[in-house]
Amino acid sequence: MTLAQPVIPSGITHADAVIRVRDLQKRYGEVQAVAGIDFEVGRGEVFGLLGPNGAGKSTTIEILEGLRTQDAGEATVLGLDVRSQASALKERIGVQLQTAALYPRLTVREVLELFASFYTSSVPPDQLIEALDLGERRNAQTRQLSGGQRQRLSVALALVNDPELVFLDEPTTGMDPAARRSLWELVRGLRAKGRTVLLTTHYMEEAEELCDRLAIMDHGKILEIGTVDQLVGRRFTERTVRYERLPGIDDATLAAFPGVTRVAHEDDEATLLYTRDVAGTIGALLGAAEALGVEPRGLGIRSPSLEDVFLALTGHAIRD
Amino acid sequence: MHTLVRLTSANLKSFTRDRAAMFWTLAFPLVFILLFGAIFSGGTSRFTVAWVDGDGSPSSTALLSNPALANVFTLKTYATADDAIAAMKQGDVRAVLVIPKGFGSAIASAGAVGGAALPLTVYTDPSNQQVSGTITGIVASLVGGFNQAASGRPPILALQTQTVQSEAISAVAYLVPSILAMALMQLGLFSAIPIVEQRESLILKRIAATPIKRRTFIAANVITRLLIGLIQAVVILAVAQVVFGITLLGNPFVFAGIVVLGALAFIALGYVVASFAPTEDSASQMVSILQFPLMFLSGIFFALESLPQVLRSVAAFMPLTYLGDALRQVMVGGTPFVPLGVGVGILAAWLVGCFLISARFFRWQ
Repeated sequence: MTLAQPVIPSGITHADAVIRVRDLQKRYGEVQAVAGIDFEVGRGEVFGLLGPNGAGKSTTIEILEGLRTQDAGEATVLGLDVRSQASALKERIGVQLQTAALYPRLTVREVLELFASFYTSSVPPDQLIEALDLGERRNAQTRQLSGGQRQRLSVALALVNDPELVFLDEPTTGMDPAARRSLWELVRGLRAKGRTVLLTTHYMEEAEELCDRLAIMDHGKILEIGTVDQLVGRRFTERTVRYERLPGIDDATLAAFPGVTRVAHEDDEATLLYTRDVAGTIGALLGAAEALGVEPRGLGIRSPSLEDVFLALTGHAIRD
Repeated sequence: MHTLVRLTSANLKSFTRDRAAMFWTLAFPLVFILLFGAIFSGGTSRFTVAWVDGDGSPSSTALLSNPALANVFTLKTYATADDAIAAMKQGDVRAVLVIPKGFGSAIASAGAVGGAALPLTVYTDPSNQQVSGTITGIVASLVGGFNQAASGRPPILALQTQTVQSEAISAVAYLVPSILAMALMQLGLFSAIPIVEQRESLILKRIAATPIKRRTFIAANVITRLLIGLIQAVVILAVAQVVFGITLLGNPFVFAGIVVLGALAFIALGYVVASFAPTEDSASQMVSILQFPLMFLSGIFFALESLPQVLRSVAAFMPLTYLGDALRQVMVGGTPFVPLGVGVGILAAWLVGCFLISARFFRWQ
C-alpha cells in the first residue's frame, strides 16, 4: 500500500532561499491555525500552498507578510526576520489579500497612484492598468467594478512597487476562466523576470498549471511538498477507475479485482479503484454489477492527479 | 510628506464624492441656522433705541415725535448717556442716540453762526452689523435732512458714531456659535464611521501591508477632518454675516485655533468610539446615542443660568459647553460661562484624555 510511505519533509534546501520557515505556529483561541510547518522557497520559484478553506494557508501567508505575529517558530523573508524587520520587508514585497475592498469612491487610477506613493520606487500606474487589462475601467470608482475586475485591481496593487517577492492569496477567486488564464500568464511573466511568487489556492488546476512546487496543507500542517510530478509519482504508479457508487459490492470484493491496489470513496458518491490493470479491473467490475442486475454509471478512467494526491493524503476532497 | 498629501487628498475625494456625508456636514448646519435664525429674528423691524436729550430745548423735544425716528424706533428716554449705555450693554436697547447741548439754538440760527457742526452721537453694537447699519443709516438721513434745510450753509450737525459692545447678545448671535460647535462635534464624532468602515472592509489591513507608518495614515485622516471643519466654520460664518449681519468680532486666528482645538477634541472622541465599535453599524449607533446628550445636556442652546442646578452641573462636564462658550466669546462676545483660557484648557484635557484612550484601545484588525 502506497499510503504507508513516509511523508517527505521540507523538500530541497536552497542556498538562495527567499523564504525560510521553520516550525511556524499560530493559534487563535482553541484553534491551532498553523501547527508547526517548515518550508523554503527559492528565488524565481512559483510556490503554491494548496489546501481547503481553513487549512491555515492565509494565516501562514499573513505571518510572512508581516501582518500577523507567529506564536512560535522562525520565518525569514528576503533575509529579513518577519517579526523584527517587518517594515523593511514591506517595502520589498507585494501583497494581495483575499478580500479586496479598496477606497470605494476612488477610481482605479487614483487607488494605484495612492498606493504607489507609499513606496520609495514604483511602477507607473498606467503600465499596471494595461498589464491587468483594466484600461476601460481606469476612471471608474472601485465600488462600480465587478468582482473579477476588483480582484485584478488588487493584484495590480500587489505589483505597484515592482516587488522581488509577490504574495497572492487566492488570486483567481471570483474570476471568469478568461481572466484566470490571463492572470496565470501574468504570474508566468513574473517568473520569467526572475521574481518569486508565493500563492495560495484551492484550485487543483491552478496549482498544476502554475506552481513549480507545492505544499499541500490541511488542518494547519504541511502534509507533503514537491513538484506536481513528484507528488503524484511518489504516491501513484497506477491509474484510477471511477464510477458512481454501487452499495451492493463491498470494498473487500473490489480490492480482490485484478490489478486493484486500493479502494477509495469520494464524498460517498463515487468509488475510486486504483489499479495497475485497467482492463482486468473494469471487466471484473462489469461482471460483478451484472450479477447484481445493475450497470455502473459514470464509469471513467483517469490518470492520477493532484486531486487524488489530496484525497489520499487527507481522506477528503478539497472542496469539502 | 508626499504620502501624507496623497492620503489626505484621497480622503477628501472620497468625502466630496459621498453626497450623504456632504449634506450632513455642510448643508445640515446651514439649514439649522436659517431655520432657527428665521424663528428668532422675527419682529426686528422696530428697534428700541435709547434717547438722551442733552439739550432740553423745544426743538430737541420735538424730535421725539419726528416721524423719521418715531415711525421706525421705539424711543426710550434716559437721563444721561452713561445710563443709556449701561442699558445697552445689558441688552435693553439696541442703540443710544445723544442729542447734543445747543441743538435747539443751532437749528434756530440755521447755520447763520459760522463755526463747527454740532456732533450728534449714535452708539451702536458692532457685533450685529445689520442692526447697527440700519440704525446708523436712519439717524444719518435725519442729520442729512437738517443740513439740507440749511442748504448752501455750512452743515449744522455732524453724525458721530461710537461703538458699545453689548454683553447681552441677540438670540441669533447666541445661536450661530452654538451651531458651529454642534457641527464640529458631529464632524468629530462621525470620523468614527469611515475608519471603522475601513477596518471592516480590510482597507486598514491592506494599508498595514504597505511600508507607510500608522501615524501617517491616522494623521491624514485627522487632517482631512480638520480641513472639513475649517470649511464648515468659514461657510457658517459667511452665512451668519450675509443673512444675519453677525460678524466675527475677535481675532480670526484665535477663532481658527478654537475651531481646530474643538474639532480635534471631538475627533479624538470619535476615535474612542471607533476603538470600541466592532462594526460600522454599531459605530453609527454609538455616535447617534452619544450625540444627543452631548448636545442637549450642554449649554450650547440655552444660557446655562436659565437651566436647573442639576442640568447645570451636568453641562459643566460637557465638552460642547466649553467649545460653544469659547466660540461665542470670540465670535460675538456676551457673558462668558468660564474665561476663555479655562474653556480652552478643558477642551485640551478632553483631547488628551480621548487620545490616550484611543491610542490604548484602537484595533487595526
